[in-house]
Amino acid sequence: MTDKPDDQPRDEPSPDVDRRTFFAMGCVGLGAATLGFGAATVRFLIPNVLYEPSRRFAIGSSSDFPPGSVTFLPDRRLFVFNGPDGLFSISAVCTHLGCNVRHVENGFACPCHGSRYDENGRVISGPAPKALAWYAVTLSPREQLIVDLDQTVGPEFRLRV
Amino acid sequence: MTEPISKRAARWLNGAGRSVFRIGWPQTDKDRAAAMISSFFLHIHPARVSRHALRPTYTFALGLISAILFVILSVTGLALMLYYVPYPPEAYRSMKDLQFVVTFGIVLRNMHRWSAHAMVVVVFLHMCRVFWTGSYKPPREFNWIVGVVLLLLTLGLSFTGYLLPWDQLAFWAITVGTNIAAYAPVVGDQVKYLLLGGHMIGPMTLLRFYVLHCVILPLAMLMLISLHVWRVRKDGLSGGSGQMLPVEEVAGVFPASTKTYGLMSLSKRPRASVESRDPYDEVFAWPHLLYRELLVALAVIVVLHALSLVFMAPLEEIAEPTRTPNPAKAPWYFLGLQELVHYSALIGGVIVPTVLVVALLALPYVDRGTAGAGRWFAPERRVSNIVFTVIVILLAGLTVTGTLFRGPNWAWVWPWK
Repeated sequence: MTDKPDDQPRDEPSPDVDRRTFFAMGCVGLGAATLGFGAATVRFLIPNVLYEPSRRFAIGSSSDFPPGSVTFLPDRRLFVFNGPDGLFSISAVCTHLGCNVRHVENGFACPCHGSRYDENGRVISGPAPKALAWYAVTLSPREQLIVDLDQTVGPEFRLRV
Repeated sequence: MTEPISKRAARWLNGAGRSVFRIGWPQTDKDRAAAMISSFFLHIHPARVSRHALRPTYTFALGLISAILFVILSVTGLALMLYYVPYPPEAYRSMKDLQFVVTFGIVLRNMHRWSAHAMVVVVFLHMCRVFWTGSYKPPREFNWIVGVVLLLLTLGLSFTGYLLPWDQLAFWAITVGTNIAAYAPVVGDQVKYLLLGGHMIGPMTLLRFYVLHCVILPLAMLMLISLHVWRVRKDGLSGGSGQMLPVEEVAGVFPASTKTYGLMSLSKRPRASVESRDPYDEVFAWPHLLYRELLVALAVIVVLHALSLVFMAPLEEIAEPTRTPNPAKAPWYFLGLQELVHYSALIGGVIVPTVLVVALLALPYVDRGTAGAGRWFAPERRVSNIVFTVIVILLAGLTVTGTLFRGPNWAWVWPWK
């Protein structure tokens, strides 16, 4: 008979998985689970709720912006124009390093590093890498003008009221 | 009982003392050497050091001063944490309290501020010293890498601390700084979103910067400083007499004269091992090294205190996200980059910082020759020293330009006008 001390009968088939493989697979499984928890921790760092001012907001009725006017909304960092073709809104945030630009004759100027933009927000000179953002302006059922900072539009955009 | 109670009490006290300090106050060189090795706090020093390592003109104690500044910053920072509230607008009010209400609050704040600025300077100078003496050469390549990461951590700590006062200076410096970071290709915007915890600098940003500044970055720094010092201890200081002698590298191949005991014989011998050292060129670390370190530490503390009594850390009005000061400047150590960003966002924000960091990390593995290592401005290393020095001068020039010579609209101004 067998000379091994184990009491397993010799004719029983050996297990499909030996001890070493079993533990190796266990380690891989536990390692994968740990990596999953690590990924969950990284995801945890990305906030779901932002306690910031809403990115979509009302700026008042069209009568607040008389024809031909240029209005700077400091809290929203936004310029609202009422031109001959209609209303449109241009960001006051310099695309260079995030300073507030000023409305000057024929365009905008950034006080931080001297970037200049034309009246459509396109870069004329200075280090700014791209044009000022244009945001969509819509009219709500209550006749309020709504600006959505997540919805950028081209410089041909006009809202006729 | 024949023994008087006083004697028994003294013996008991002595025994209790010995449980803490195993060998008592050492009276002889031998005891002091034993203390250096057996003490947890002292054993980062060797028992004996070469005279070369003590020459102030070799190291200028820059690494030591960096470590001392880290300790000062930890102590003053922990004290400030007891009054600081990391939430706007209370954050700004607690700064005002520290400034005007808390006894000695202003001194501690000044200490913390000036030590932080000093640390950026000293760590940078330390890196220059290591380059100009060629001390990143084998076997110290990896410790150079650790040092580069420590430099980046120092900048990160200083930068995250910059936002905490929540005044105009803090708010707009971090606005400019994080917008420079957002120029990183592909991941720039996501990194900015993660760093700010949103689209704009707000309460979430302040809390994130606070945790980074007070917990995450200091812990990482402490670990890396330990590693950095441990490797200096193992490899010895560069440029000693042992530097030039051939040594065996393979574990277990020891000359017959070497004394090794037990597990020590398994360890790979450090380059500056006992056989390659000249015993006549060595002195005991206690007192020669220890008292010098103490002297430098006291001098640093006193100088910083004196500075903190005279120069006040700035605190402007409370952060106002809708009103951009003119000019808006990043912290001074990033003004070299901001000056470059003023010419081109891509070059200043992406290319130059990336190339600099990659070059620093790759340096010890690219520049591999050992000629001239361990000496200041060795003629064998003339080319690399010139290249490095030119880069340092350019960086310093850009930083000075951005700090002093730039006024409203980033136009050129003369600082004395």
